[in-house]
Amino acid sequence: MIRFNLNGEWIEDGNIDPMCTILNYLRTQMAQTDVKEGCAAGDCGACTVMLASLDNGQLSFYTVNACIALMAHLHNRYIFTAQGIAQQSLHPAQQAMIDFHGSQCGFCTPGIVMSLATLYQQRLQQGIDLNIVPSDHDIHAALSGNLCRCTGYQPIVSAARHMGDYPKRDCAEQVQAAAVVEFDPNAGVSREPLQQSASSQLFMPQTEAELIALLQQYPTAQLWAGGTDLGLAITQQFKTMACVIVLGRVQGLSSIEIQNKQMSLGALCSYSDVEQELTPRVPSLAELVQRIGSRQIRNLGTLGGNIANASPIGDMPPAFLALGAEVEINGIYGLHTIALEQFFTGYKQTQLRAGEYIRRIIFNLPQENDHVFLWKISKRHDDDISAVMFALKLSIENETIIAAKLALGGMAATPIRAYHVESGLIGQPVNLATFKQAGSLLEQDCSPMSDVRASASYRLQVGKNLLLRAALELTRGTVQAEVAS
Amino acid sequence: MSHFSAFPPSSESFRRRPAKGGRGASVTHDSAEQHVTGAAQYVDDIPELARTLHAAIGKSPVAKGTLIQLDLSQVRTAAGVVDVVTIADMPAVTDIGPVYQGDPILAGPELQFHGQALFAVAAATFIEARKAVALAAIQMDEQIPTLTLEQALASGERVRPDHMMVKGDAKKALASAPNTLTNTLYNKGQEHFYLESQVSYAVPTDDGGMTIYTSSQHPSEVQKLVAEVLGIAMHKVTVLVRRMGGGFGGKETQAAPWACLAAVLAVRNKRPVKLRLDRQDDMVLTGKRHDFFSRWTVGFDDEGQLIGADIHLAGLCGFSPDLSDAIVDRAMFHVDNAYNFPAMAVLGQRCKTNTVSNTAFRGFGGPQGMIVGEAMMDDIARATGLDPLDVRLKNLYQNGDKTHYGQPIEDFHIERLMTQLERECEYRQRRHDITEFNQQHPYLKRGLALTPVRFGISFTVQHLNQAGALINIYTDGSIQINHGGTEMGQGLFTKVAQVVANEFSVDLDYVQVTATATDKVPNTSPTAASSGSDLNGKAAQAACQTIKQRLVDLAVEHFGVAPDDVHFINNHVVVGVGESAQWLTFAEFVQLAYEQRVSLSATGYYRTPKIFYDRDTASGRPFYYYALGASCSEVEIDTLTGEYRILRTDILHDVGASLSPAIDIGQIEGGFVQGMGWLTTEELTWDAKGKLASASAATYKIPTSMDVPSILNVRLFDQPNAEETIYNSKAVGEPPLMHGISVWCALRDAAASVANYAINPPLDTPATPERVLAAVMACQAHNEGLVAEQIS
Repeated sequence: MIRFNLNGEWIEDGNIDPMCTILNYLRTQMAQTDVKEGCAAGDCGACTVMLASLDNGQLSFYTVNACIALMAHLHNRYIFTAQGIAQQSLHPAQQAMIDFHGSQCGFCTPGIVMSLATLYQQRLQQGIDLNIVPSDHDIHAALSGNLCRCTGYQPIVSAARHMGDYPKRDCAEQVQAAAVVEFDPNAGVSREPLQQSASSQLFMPQTEAELIALLQQYPTAQLWAGGTDLGLAITQQFKTMACVIVLGRVQGLSSIEIQNKQMSLGALCSYSDVEQELTPRVPSLAELVQRIGSRQIRNLGTLGGNIANASPIGDMPPAFLALGAEVEINGIYGLHTIALEQFFTGYKQTQLRAGEYIRRIIFNLPQENDHVFLWKISKRHDDDISAVMFALKLSIENETIIAAKLALGGMAATPIRAYHVESGLIGQPVNLATFKQAGSLLEQDCSPMSDVRASASYRLQVGKNLLLRAALELTRGTVQAEVAS
Repeated sequence: MSHFSAFPPSSESFRRRPAKGGRGASVTHDSAEQHVTGAAQYVDDIPELARTLHAAIGKSPVAKGTLIQLDLSQVRTAAGVVDVVTIADMPAVTDIGPVYQGDPILAGPELQFHGQALFAVAAATFIEARKAVALAAIQMDEQIPTLTLEQALASGERVRPDHMMVKGDAKKALASAPNTLTNTLYNKGQEHFYLESQVSYAVPTDDGGMTIYTSSQHPSEVQKLVAEVLGIAMHKVTVLVRRMGGGFGGKETQAAPWACLAAVLAVRNKRPVKLRLDRQDDMVLTGKRHDFFSRWTVGFDDEGQLIGADIHLAGLCGFSPDLSDAIVDRAMFHVDNAYNFPAMAVLGQRCKTNTVSNTAFRGFGGPQGMIVGEAMMDDIARATGLDPLDVRLKNLYQNGDKTHYGQPIEDFHIERLMTQLERECEYRQRRHDITEFNQQHPYLKRGLALTPVRFGISFTVQHLNQAGALINIYTDGSIQINHGGTEMGQGLFTKVAQVVANEFSVDLDYVQVTATATDKVPNTSPTAASSGSDLNGKAAQAACQTIKQRLVDLAVEHFGVAPDDVHFINNHVVVGVGESAQWLTFAEFVQLAYEQRVSLSATGYYRTPKIFYDRDTASGRPFYYYALGASCSEVEIDTLTGEYRILRTDILHDVGASLSPAIDIGQIEGGFVQGMGWLTTEELTWDAKGKLASASAATYKIPTSMDVPSILNVRLFDQPNAEETIYNSKAVGEPPLMHGISVWCALRDAAASVANYAINPPLDTPATPERVLAAVMACQAHNEGLVAEQIS
């Protein structure tokens, strides 16, 4: 049984197929056609909805792509659509979009309105004076997952800047009136599926104990974290999964801890969760996180999911490899930790066994002599997949490189470390010649392939050139060492 | 929230208040409120009738082959499946080519491209239909396909014959020129990526006919093809289009197959059938902008003055003609852009390949021609050491010149427009600043380009330049207008409503534009060629004038005044002059007209004057007038990775006397960004078997808000159209797309800076970071060659 509040109305439905996405349910079961399907792959944002969740008394608002999120994600949450925020009068995001001519064909518009309304509501939650115009950075981040083919975005950005000009609207009032509670305190440990159909069942454990018990019973179950990649199996390949365990509500797996110059990130942390924490501590990683997917994807996608998915073009694995991260694994074989560089064993293959899950990712924070370069090369700046992901951590003392970790994505069947290049750097002085020489060893570390994103030769050339860029940045003195603050 | 309520009673203050929202007013889109609340219904949002079936398409697994056996038994027995059809099941006509034959509604036995529609399935749900199509067992004799322009040029395969346009003796001119240079450019195509994919909903009627709700720019063609495919008369088919979630040319011919298949399935099953392509199917099954491979030799003197050019333009048409004849023609018409070539020979080739049949896309071949003209200007500038802007200004057409197809140049004010932009965007100062920046930065380089746009307005197929409208005035004074144009987001309905409000001098709220419907205005042209408001605005105006004349006649008869003493002012009809003038509200007067038995319904019709074109001699006046504009873009490239940012773009664009400035600016900004996307991040890729590899939003990248220049200034060039268009406005749909060319020229300029502008870096499009890096490396190789020369 799924229970959720749609625009003010509680809905309980025990017959929803576990494979049913939010978009499919809203459009076909609820005739909620204000939510549009543009790509059904989480790339265009026409289906963007605003969700509200109340966790430990903390009310938060965020956007998701309804097309790839399962209905289970809605359980005990509140969902707003464009119709729902316009119940008495238009929301400031809507009125501003009208007044600044932000819609042309109108098909992407409800999704854009929801991204803007969420930006507005998040600022309200943070106590920001709405008269202060949001920064371009925040506006573009909010819109990063919304494609518009008509307007060229200029009027939409103008609308975003002017939302504060209209009478204040607080969607939290609607959520509070609905008495949303994320966790049912009386639920206890349950091994009953949340959803079931003839071909599939779905579980949503709330504790690790419950999760491990389920894994013992269903070791081959499909683990579902953010589902930003798995969702495509349903919407693009129309697959059915016999048993799904949704991890999103397992408590304790999304904590962020810093101890002894070490950072530990819970595997269920979404990209959006870690963005703020990383900004002062590992700015380059924070910047990279902001270029992963879109705002909607960053709200759903998790660090653990990105690692367990083991895609050669995932952005986090190279970054974590360069940072020397370890992954903590738990499950039916007990708790253990392995170095990330041992984790990936082949194309989409890892050391993770059936019945296991990633608990957290741990890495040492960069220190005074460390320099971290995390560069993502793609055709488009936002919401794109890397052609090359370049992650380099250098420790420099007395103008000499004393340690180097270079990890690359998009260059092999797995995320890799470039050990030959590293050895060419270690012990050498910081100058262009060193990096050029080390770059000449890159072919010994990888032989990338040509595909829709880039050719093999471009990938190799860029890998070498980014070493030069690192050298130029270091020698020009334009980069500061990344120091934990 | 705007809504109609009765006219307020006439009062002194009401008489003084001007009517709201006539021509030239910046009004909001007529559906803006429905857009932002999600209330606007697109075809897939229409509440479904009972027993509606959902259809999906089974596709060819090879690019070329002959079908041996198509076993659909598993498809037929799949969950939810109600019907499966192949070409053998079509009731009547099976070729739905829009102009020429060659587009079978379903393939077989010949398979002509990877992903070609092969069969259609109707099932209880969309997902069941999509799952079922995967169960087909297809046996075929696979053959070696022709996939590239290079292959088709070598083998001579064409969908239509080659065509030439000639001015003077190009050969002789080139032989006499002090300098010539030869170059090539490959422009990849472009996916329309309208946010609403193709969709049609076919509902059988009780008289053996069919009602089609579709997302189409060409309802009359859908009507005709559905009738032909079903084997019934056109009067049995009604096609309705309220709005599209974007079109951009992609729903001109490409909407019809899905309407026809839905109609066939609806007739067979006596049930309503909806056929919606999901994004992947839409990208695979429907045509795109043509790839072009262009080769030219251009002659010029040492001062950069053009002498002559020999140009070959080859378009990749795909497997069938579709609209490719006219599209390659338009590329040929626009290869000169704004420049006077004293002699020119242009060859246009329409190459046939085993790929999806390419089709109309905003600009219709014009952009692919125009970019060649602009590439030549840059090439000449680098060959002569002049600033590219100076080469451009020096070669502009002057009034009295003639184009290479014989159209005289009139009312041509591009020089004034360009120099105004040059001044306003501080081109010269920024050129200086960029030179300094480039000398200082070790790996970032900036580029700048100011390029003009001159785009011919009219369908080059003469008979399409006509339009109709139907106006109904109701007894409360409210007005309904219907016309042949379709609303795809461009604001056509709003503009036409403004025309009507303006004609009667009533508030815009009193005018309602209704869904385009083939049973209200028949035999319409596609909403294409930027012609929507030119044609339909004039047709609507004609309808208004017919009724106005009747109302004036009534006033003359009823009040005994002279015709000149009847005026439509501020929501009133004013009868008489001076003290004795009577002010009746528009509604009061309409009520009077009804009581006096005056017809309050009229049609209007318009056809574009002056145009003619003889394709046999490739000469005439194909265009009523030209839309003009110019843009200046500044970019910054990273010479280590080829990544770049567009720092600033300034656009000055000529829309004549703007009908609706906010809408026009929206078209200009949106068009520019779409053109920029075509030339930068949007890359179509096919695998070695001819299968579309970039068949999703994950692999095909249209611009996001982040990609738009951080400074984007758009201004309207304020000068009425010299031709008598609707209120002397100019068409605005397609021309701004070509402002994207300034971004490409600026990227090439930035790359060329690496070799001190001594060479013309190769930069095919889209100029992805990979291609920009290759251009930079070509410049670096040139530098290394120079160094090697100096050493030896």
